[in-house]
Amino acid sequence: MSQAFNNNYNSFNTFNYTAPADRSEILAWLSPLEPRVRHRDIGARRVDSIGAWLLETEEFKRWHNGNREDRSYHPTLFCDGNPGVGKSYMMM
Amino acid sequence: MILLTGSDDSSLVTDKLCDEVVKGNPTVVCFYFDYASRNEQSPVNMLGSLLRQLVSGQEKIPEAITQDYLKEKVSIGSRVLQVSGILKMFQAIAVTRRIFICVDELDECVPENRMVVLESLGQILQGSPNTRIFMTGRSHVRSEVERGLSGAATFIFIRATEDGVFRFLREKLGQDTIPNMMSSTLEEDIMKSIPAISSETYVRTRLRTKLPHD
Repeated sequence: MSQAFNNNYNSFNTFNYTAPADRSEILAWLSPLEPRVRHRDIGARRVDSIGAWLLETEEFKRWHNGNREDRSYHPTLFCDGNPGVGKSYMMM
Repeated sequence: MILLTGSDDSSLVTDKLCDEVVKGNPTVVCFYFDYASRNEQSPVNMLGSLLRQLVSGQEKIPEAITQDYLKEKVSIGSRVLQVSGILKMFQAIAVTRRIFICVDELDECVPENRMVVLESLGQILQGSPNTRIFMTGRSHVRSEVERGLSGAATFIFIRATEDGVFRFLREKLGQDTIPNMMSSTLEEDIMKSIPAISSETYVRTRLRTKLPHD
């Protein structure tokens, strides 16, 4: 109870006296996760141009350039495969 | 706009998409599932991360987000940010923009969260006609992807090509930090045998098995 009271007090205190919400605080509130770190890690380990064939496939081109008004068009491209074939490196 | 790639990084699909950021005005947002981080990678944190990347490219944070943030600051214990709220905020921004969402290793999202994530992405697609999603994952989650996205997906089965494996091995052997432990016979054996047998196999496992000090 005492803890709840303290939180309540602190919260209102912050609300009353803190300047307009700080941008970086709001971004961290949306999510504490940092996918950028993983992105850089994978990118650093990737061997250049391996998997470039994917960009030349009809499936990729249709997904990338296609029109949503076309009823056969799918807005999602899912690349599946066995572990270790390089799926993450392709996304990178 | 958001450019996730640093200049030293090597990339394929996101690089291709980010090229367009320079030419036009699309935004690329990414997420990497990792089973080791499963406790932190809840649907709220995952979808919140996509929204965060989207918002961080804007000059001003949308008022609705600031208001929810302030609400949570004065609330006692309850989490104001929910999946439904994130989707609403995401769609409000995405409706007029061309957005690419890239999601890696969907199979590493815990099964009980996977359908929530997929259905949420499906809702984003429905509410924002210029959004596209690129995803990777193991084949056993295909049926869930079809179900969660109501069939709005094309599938490509990825195989390791012999040429790709060859170049991967050449690069890794070139980075060997103790090259004098590698005999020319063993190196030749690696370069001959692994590319021949490794399409659809776990290249890194094979490499580890063969390298004497790895």
